[in-house]
Amino acid sequence: MEWDWEFAASIMPQLLAGFRITLIATALGAVVAAVLGLVFAILRRSRNRILSRGTGFVVEFIRGTPLLVQLYFIFYVLPDLGIRLPALTAGVIGMGLHYATYASEVYRGGIEAVSRGQWEAAKATNLNARQTWIHIILPQAVPPMIPAMANYLLAMFKETPLLSAITVLELMNQARSVANSSYRYVEPMTLVGVMFLIVSVISVVGLRWLERRYGGVGK
Amino acid sequence: MKTTLIAALLLAAPLPALADKLDDLKEAGTARIAIGNEPPFTAIGADGKVSGAAPDVARAVFAALGVADLEASILDYGAMIPSLQAGRVDAITAGLFMKPERCDAVAYSEPILCDAEALLLPKGNPKGFKSYADFANDPEARLGAPGGGTEEKLALDAGVPRDRLVVVPDAQSGLKMVQDGRIDAYSLPVLSLNDLLAKSGDASLEVVAPVQGAPVYCDGAAFNKRDTALRDAFDVELAKLKESGEFARIIEPYGFSAEAAISTNREALCAQQ
Repeated sequence: MEWDWEFAASIMPQLLAGFRITLIATALGAVVAAVLGLVFAILRRSRNRILSRGTGFVVEFIRGTPLLVQLYFIFYVLPDLGIRLPALTAGVIGMGLHYATYASEVYRGGIEAVSRGQWEAAKATNLNARQTWIHIILPQAVPPMIPAMANYLLAMFKETPLLSAITVLELMNQARSVANSSYRYVEPMTLVGVMFLIVSVISVVGLRWLERRYGGVGK
Repeated sequence: MKTTLIAALLLAAPLPALADKLDDLKEAGTARIAIGNEPPFTAIGADGKVSGAAPDVARAVFAALGVADLEASILDYGAMIPSLQAGRVDAITAGLFMKPERCDAVAYSEPILCDAEALLLPKGNPKGFKSYADFANDPEARLGAPGGGTEEKLALDAGVPRDRLVVVPDAQSGLKMVQDGRIDAYSLPVLSLNDLLAKSGDASLEVVAPVQGAPVYCDGAAFNKRDTALRDAFDVELAKLKESGEFARIIEPYGFSAEAAISTNREALCAQQ
């Protein structure tokens, strides 16, 4: 086993093309997860029993099944029902939906951490539900959630290689395709690890900063 | 001086341990083989039994060599050669066609199974695909092929861009993706696609064969470059098998031509681009 710098350099463009897809999938997946997660969290608190129980069931169902199975379902089974999504879209929806259920738990924790007095005060000042959420609850609930959210974002980023199972040409798939034709795993897999590590290390530094900025209790 | 000594030691050291690879296999009673689960080349039955033309020939030859049993692992085509090099399997018997760069990487036996390439696509071939170049020329066409397989390489060589050449994980997914219209065609050897189409029973698809401009390829059992002694022993028994007619009795029921394999040899196939 020996490291060949020339070969490593020659496969970089292909790997970077895959890395771009990895970053796009993560970014889009994060947006889906953040928005859907909030919707789940709010629906779950609804006073309508059917709505809150129904949402609760969906969230537990998605949280309790593996992401890979869900991806296969979205990519290979939905076309039988007439829904044919492109590979990347299917991947973004699958990952976004999966992580939305985790995110909804984070939102729930953040919302429940807002003291009852705030709700009562909102009611006392005659704010309606919309105003209460937007002006009172969320501004207090969101900042403490940010570190936990960023953590899930990082976890999702590291799960993107699963998308290679549904033919998305992301970083891992590109590396495998390199190995498939060159019969070498050392350089492509090492470079994949290094690329993920670079982003992860930068993210960890960012996470620390977020924790200091928002995470402090009773700052 | 010192470096030469070290180099000599490094070169000499692994040899004695590997020369008796066949003895090791005999002692273990099993040879580990890599297969692809792509009938009729390789198949795993519902009962878990390994069959298909390639493992059946390997079983007969290994039995003649005194190795009673085969232990198969299903691998991606692209992962087979690295697995062989890493010592995870003892041989590849999967319809891995001989090509110059593969011949450089592994020690092939004499040819065993020969087949041409084909396309699985909607009935009537509405877009008129006949060769891999047709996929390169149509900016909308999407072609599916197994990752690291011969078809992928031929398509890339014909100029099909990477983003329209979909790496399909297995034959069932390939069939499903053609049915769903995710890809315009799925490429595999003729006999594999015929088998796949027959099993699917889907009357809305057809097999176009052979792909124009794609050569006929043959596979062989592939061994680690260090195990040429084992390969040579395998060749001797394989030749006997071909001679006795047993070879034809094994592979012809699967649809392969024994004559095609007997009439060519490793040197010619390894030189064929």
